[in-house]
Formats: sequence, structure tokens, C-alpha cells
Amino acid sequence: MTVWPALAGGFAGTLVLTTILRTASELNLTRMDLPFLLGTAFTADRARAKAVGYAAHFVMGLAFATGYYALFLAVGRHDWWLGAAFGLGQGLFAGTVLVNVLLPLVHPRMGSPLSDATTVALLESPGFMARNYGLRTPAVSLVAHVLYGTVIAVFLTLANR
Amino acid sequence: MPGREPSPRRDGYAPLRAYAAIGDGRTIALIAEDGSIDWLPLPNLDSPTVFAAVLDSETGGCFTLAPTAPFRVARRYLADTNVLETTFLTDDGEVRVVDAMTILDESLGPFRELQRRVEGIAGRVSMRWQLHPRFGYGQRPTRLELRAGVPIAVSGGDALAICAFDAGRPQIEGGVVGGCFETSPGSRSVVALCMAHQEPLLFPARAELDARFDRTVAAWRTWVAARAPVGPWQGAVTRSALALKLLVHAPSGAVAAAATTSLPEQIGGERNWDYRFCWVRDSAFTLDSLLRLGCAPEAQAYFWWLVHASQLTRPRLQPLYRLDGGARATESSLPLRGYLGSLPVRIGNAAAGQRQLDTYGELLQTAWLYADAGQYIDPDIGARLADIADLVCRLWREPDAGIWEVRSAPAHFTHSKMMCWVALDRAGRLADHGALPRPHVAEWRRQAEEIGEFIELRCVSERRDGYTRSAGSEELDASVLLGLLSGYGDPRSARWGRTVETVRRELGHGPYVYRYTGEDGLAGGEGAFVSCSFWLAEALARVGRLADATALMNDLVELGNDVGLFAEEIEPSTGAFLGNLPQGLSHLSLISAATAIAEESA
Repeated sequence: MTVWPALAGGFAGTLVLTTILRTASELNLTRMDLPFLLGTAFTADRARAKAVGYAAHFVMGLAFATGYYALFLAVGRHDWWLGAAFGLGQGLFAGTVLVNVLLPLVHPRMGSPLSDATTVALLESPGFMARNYGLRTPAVSLVAHVLYGTVIAVFLTLANR
Repeated sequence: MPGREPSPRRDGYAPLRAYAAIGDGRTIALIAEDGSIDWLPLPNLDSPTVFAAVLDSETGGCFTLAPTAPFRVARRYLADTNVLETTFLTDDGEVRVVDAMTILDESLGPFRELQRRVEGIAGRVSMRWQLHPRFGYGQRPTRLELRAGVPIAVSGGDALAICAFDAGRPQIEGGVVGGCFETSPGSRSVVALCMAHQEPLLFPARAELDARFDRTVAAWRTWVAARAPVGPWQGAVTRSALALKLLVHAPSGAVAAAATTSLPEQIGGERNWDYRFCWVRDSAFTLDSLLRLGCAPEAQAYFWWLVHASQLTRPRLQPLYRLDGGARATESSLPLRGYLGSLPVRIGNAAAGQRQLDTYGELLQTAWLYADAGQYIDPDIGARLADIADLVCRLWREPDAGIWEVRSAPAHFTHSKMMCWVALDRAGRLADHGALPRPHVAEWRRQAEEIGEFIELRCVSERRDGYTRSAGSEELDASVLLGLLSGYGDPRSARWGRTVETVRRELGHGPYVYRYTGEDGLAGGEGAFVSCSFWLAEALARVGRLADATALMNDLVELGNDVGLFAEEIEPSTGAFLGNLPQGLSHLSLISAATAIAEESA
């Protein structure tokens, strides 16, 4: 089992995840915009932020895919439901720790409990499970991450038939 | 105490004349004399509103900011800007409120931002602001909460942060966010609405708000400074240009007909329409005005939008298209009470499905003006315009709904026939310039001749020897003046002279002009149509009655409200505004008449 199917799955999974989030946004289910959140960590220019954010998002999608690959190797299987379970775990981790706690601490333009008087605009912080971006955000995010994990597992399964 | 009493509200509704407009090229807010923002669609002009008290004073939502004590008021726009300054004068002192929708710059700002800046001038004035956000035309549930002391209003994919600086401690109570504070000489407070659509909110710092406000004022002034002077009535023309710029949808270049929907043409009546679309009907006026004002980039963007939008339905044209160029404009009604009970409150516009033959003439006239200004029409667009000319040859004998989009039976409207003649005449001229393919030029010219014969035989009153509203009728219609302004016939002919005089005598009421006599398929009446007055002034100039044109124009520019804006119609007996506002066609017609009279005077 090589890492390439996992990387291909990571790319496809990120496409699926991004599409689901964008669709949910168009349906007014959430205001979460991951490329915007990630990109504004690097630049204040809106258009550039989205471009940078999409790139960063795909890099992270590939990075997490290698992590999934390592986990699949460790447990010795890569069933679709196992991928879905990993995706669920990642979604929960992202909502409770990664985006909720860590991102505000490292994002130079995001408000956090440590914020004080400042001269720059602050981005709305996500809150627990990113519910500040809409009460349906956790459900949307979890579904998207479950599908991300599933896609990686399916790619590995197809490559190793 | 200078200033004047603000116009009193009736059943919670301010007179339409009391509204000023601010905007950012994406959306427009209407602010009443008493400091209440009663209209604001988000994120775009044709989106659902967060404030719509002008259509329902109970559930529509609004944002009030005013002294707590009785006040007098004086208003103006900051010179050469769309930034509104309202000075409140009370027994305790004087305070100035400056309202602006800021223009985004290189800093990371909110998706949309509306700033209300309060400056203490004299004495100590107690101020109160209250915000009733009601997303989705007041129909969507709106959740209010405090986040780190900042009030937030959330509804689906839209959110609003109310960032108040030195404007009292914001409090939320009963679906209302508000605060109280006191001004003193030199004090400065800001309440900023920072809006997000499908993205996280942004909370700007005070210094960023100040910088963005300054840059917004500078941006408007830079834009005005680049405009070409157009002779007399320069102040009114500049205000009209700024109003027009507000109506330009920045992402596409489309020009909305007005900023609002369903402001009534008759109080309590059913003539309430959604004007947040771009009408092909206005295209020639729009392009001509943009070119005369020296707005070449806007003219180019507009022409390309027109070509892009009409591609969806080509060679047929819809009377109107959405601001994003889409063709769907399904009409429906909202469960709002309507301005002073004027129902229904409509969104969308069923006129999109009508046949209006004049639109073909407007489009080809627009193309002609565009090419005549030295702009390039590529072969692909030229071929499409030729298809449209061919279509006019097949369609011109059909009845249509006419420029006024009557909902009665289709008729052979004179104006429509004149514009069909203009379509074929301009197609021929464009072909002569090499902008359109030539194979059908002879047919276009032959058909144009036939149209001319039809008009001169069937659309003329024997009794008056002037053009009538439609073939075989004795009714009158001010829209025939557009035939004159678009180049149909000889403007110095006796027939045009008599037509202009007849329109003035029988449709006019002082400086006001009604649209037409006769049936239109709708109940009730309406006010005088502002554009018709300006068309008459321009027509008077074109037929050689320059002194009459100048006198009428002098009267007309005084009919705007205190900040120089025009609605669609005015009730002659009271001067009350009627219909949607600010109305693009009214301001376009003002610019056109002012420039035409200046030209004829030269």
C-alpha cells in the first residue's frame, strides 16, 4: 500500500468537503468560509485571501490524508466505514480544538479570549463547534469531514484491489 | 433656530420626499429626515432587506438615530459625495450625524459597512439609537445576542455586528439593540453596522473606521472631479450623476431602475412595482448620459452587461434583466403592510415576460451611440445586432405592451413603432460603419420606410395633426417625445412642433407632465411622471423653443427633494413624491435635458 492513493483521495476528499461547505453556505446553513478564514491569516486583501486560503486548504487536506494513511497502516485496514469514522473524529477535533481553540490563538486577525484593544479588524471567532457561524455549522462540518475520510478510504481500497 | 421641522410621519411612514440615499455600488440605504434608516437590502440592492420600515413600519425593521428631545433638521450631501450630513438642532444644542456606506479598500473590512458618525457641535445633546434588524423583508427569524459586548444579529447566512464607539453601552431588549449617549462640543461617536454574508463577521477597529470613511469621501470626490462639465444646472447634474452611480451595480455594470420596490404610484393603490432590475428601455439614455459625463469605463461596462444579458434571450429581448444579467424575474407578493397600506408589495417583475417592441430600438440606439463614441463593436456582437434588426422586421407589425408596460390588451403604440424605426435606421447606419454585416441593409431600410408610413398614416390625430398614443386613437402619450429625442423625423417639422405643444398643453400641469391619457389595465390614477417633464424640456429645445425649454428646466430642477433626489413621480397638487426612489430614469432624463439644452444654446 503506497501513500499515493491516499494523497489522491485527500485531494478528492478536500474537493468534496469544500463543495459541501460552499453549498451549505449558499443554502444559508452556515457562514463558515474556510478559505477566507485560512487566507486572512496571511493577507488582508479579500480576493488574495480566498486564493491563498483555497491553496492552504488543499495543502492541509493532503497533509491530513498522509495522517489517515499512517492510521490505516497502523490498524492494517482501510474500509470505507473506518475512513468515515476517522473523518468524524477529525470533524469533532476540528470543531472543538483546532478551529475553536488553536486557530484564534495563531490567527493574527481573529478575536480570542486573549484579545485586547487593537487597531486592526478582528474576525469573528468560531466558538464551540463553530456555532458562531450558524447553529447548523457543526452538522454541515461533520458530514463534510465524514465524506472526506470516506473518500480517502475508498481511494485506498480501489488502489489495492 | 435654523433648520426646519422634520416632515411628520403618518401611521409610522415618513413622506417619500423625506428620504436621502447612501450606497456603495452594491446596495443602497434610504434615510429619512428624522434620522431613521428605513430601507437596506443586503448584501446587494436586489437582495432581501434587513430594514424595510418604508414598506411596513411595524415589522419591516429600521435603524433610528436622533436626539431624544424635539429637534429641527437641516440636510445636505457632503460636497461631491454620496455621504449624507444631517444636522439636528435642539433647545440643548446642535449635533451633526454623517451617514456613509463605506467603500472597501485594501484593509480587511466587513463585507458591507454602514457608518453613522455623530459629532457634537454645540451644547449637550442627548442622543438615542435603536436598531430593529429584520432580515428577509422582515420575514426571517432574527437572533440577537451579545458577543464580547458587541451586539450581533444573525439570520441564516447573514449577520450584522453593531460596533458602537463612544455611543453608549449597547443593550438588547425585545428584539431591539440600542444605546443612549450625550454629545458635547467636539465629541465624536460612531455606530457602525458591519455586515457579513456567507462568511464570518469582521469587527473593525475605530481607527480603521475613520480611515475608511475618509477614503470613501475622497473616492466620491475623485470620481466627481473626473466628470466632464455639462453647462448650466451643474449642481443638479452632478447630484444626478452621483445618484446614478449609486444605482450602478458595481460587479456587473448594470444600472438599476431604482433602489426600492413597491413604493406606490398612488397612495393605497396597486401600482407598486419592483424596480431593482435593469431595463433595456433606459439603455440609450444611460449610455448617452455616461458618455456625456465622461464615464467611459462605466459606459463600456454597461454596454457589455447589456450585450451579455441579452445573449440569454437573443435575438428576442426582455424588457428587463436582473442586475447580475439573469433573465428570471418571477413576480410574487410579500406579506408586508405596504407603504401607507399600498398593496401588494411585490418582488420580481412580471413585465420581464412582456413584449415591448421599443426595447429593440433602445438597444440599437445604444449600440449606435457606443460605436459613434469610437468604441469597438466586434463582429460577433455585430452579427447578433443584425439578428435583432432582422427580428424587428418580422415583429414591428405586432401590437405590444409599450414602454409603460400596460397590463391592458396589447396595442400598436406609437412610441414602440417609432423605436422600431430607430432600430432599423441605426442598424443601417452601423452597417455603413462596418459594425454590422451588410446583407440585409436594403431590407432594413425598406422596412423602416414602411414603419414610417404606418406612423404617419395611422398614429397621427387628424384633429391635432400630432402623434397620438397608439394607432387609430385620439389618446395622448408623452412617450412619443422619446421618438423625437431618439431621432425619428425632423425635429423642426410642424408635426413635431404641434405634438410637443399638445403634450405640454394637455398632459402638462405647470412643470409637471402626466404620462398618458386612456386605459392601462390597472385601477386608480397616478402622479405626474418626472421623466416626462424632462423629456418635454429637451423636446422644446430640439424643436427650437429654447427659452421655453430653459424656463421649464429652471422650474424642474427645483422639484427635487432637499438633497436633490427625484422619485419616479410627483403629485402636482402637493409636491409629494410617489413611486420608487431614487429613480434612475428621472435623473438620466435630467442629465439628458440639461446637456441637450446646453448644446442647443451653444
